[in-house]
Amino acid sequence: MIAFTNTYLWYTTRATGIVALLLLTLVVVLGALVSNRIGGTFVGRFELNELHRSVSMVAMLFLFMHILTTVVDSYVSTGIISAFVPMTSAYKTIPIAIGAVGFDLLLSVWISSLLKVRIKNESWRFIHWFSWLAYTSAIVHAYMAGTDTHDEAGLLVVAGCAGLVLIVALWRYFARPERAAGRTALSPLPRAKTIPQRIDSPPRSAPTVKPRRR
Amino acid sequence: MGVVRRRSGSFVLKVNPILCDGFGHCHELAPELVDVDEWGYPIVVSEPVPLSNSGLLQSARYAVRGCPRQALSIERSNDTVKPQ
Repeated sequence: MIAFTNTYLWYTTRATGIVALLLLTLVVVLGALVSNRIGGTFVGRFELNELHRSVSMVAMLFLFMHILTTVVDSYVSTGIISAFVPMTSAYKTIPIAIGAVGFDLLLSVWISSLLKVRIKNESWRFIHWFSWLAYTSAIVHAYMAGTDTHDEAGLLVVAGCAGLVLIVALWRYFARPERAAGRTALSPLPRAKTIPQRIDSPPRSAPTVKPRRR
Repeated sequence: MGVVRRRSGSFVLKVNPILCDGFGHCHELAPELVDVDEWGYPIVVSEPVPLSNSGLLQSARYAVRGCPRQALSIERSNDTVKPQ
């Protein structure tokens, strides 16, 4: 392999790693907000959901940059295989193995979300639970492998993210709302706009409905 | 979600009540088509909407895309035009 190294490549690896961690924290927090039915008054529930989806795309982008710059930089002997397969990196074997496990989990969560309309919703939810594990491995990877995460500022970022997500996870579990959490107040239209059909109303000409192609 | 191409005919927004968990996103995204009861479950307009009403069709698509449980679908009602 051609030796290719540059100081800025390594700086990019470190910087995108921190940014990816911050963005993943935001994604986890937003996902928990959606799951616990926050929103509906000054911010829409659908807006939090859209934000969760969009920010996760940006987070994946930063994660790809983080991995790509590590692989390209020949200063550390981490190849493209080590990004996916644990325990294949000679440089910091265990920390990068944990990062690879987290990346694999994140990839499966990402791909299942892209295929969301094609797969069963239960399958998607089952896979989506693994994002908590992926986030945990991201935190451990950041602490163990990070160059900047042992001194004051970097350690503060990692510890802050870990603490925030721990609190959010506990809140997500213990403050779960009922299956349906009531009306949302965001709708700009008054509720009288759509009048539900009474069950005992005379049957109208029922349309023959063709099932949607799956 | 991309099922409907021809502008003739009409569509109905269908909700699968087994999948629905009452997130209320559909009501926020398509308030013209979906009302919610006091528990947060959707009450969808049951009359077929003509496909020429592109605003409502777009709202319905947003609602289908935004549902966290994939409980919504747009279904063609073939009561007006038969395909050739």
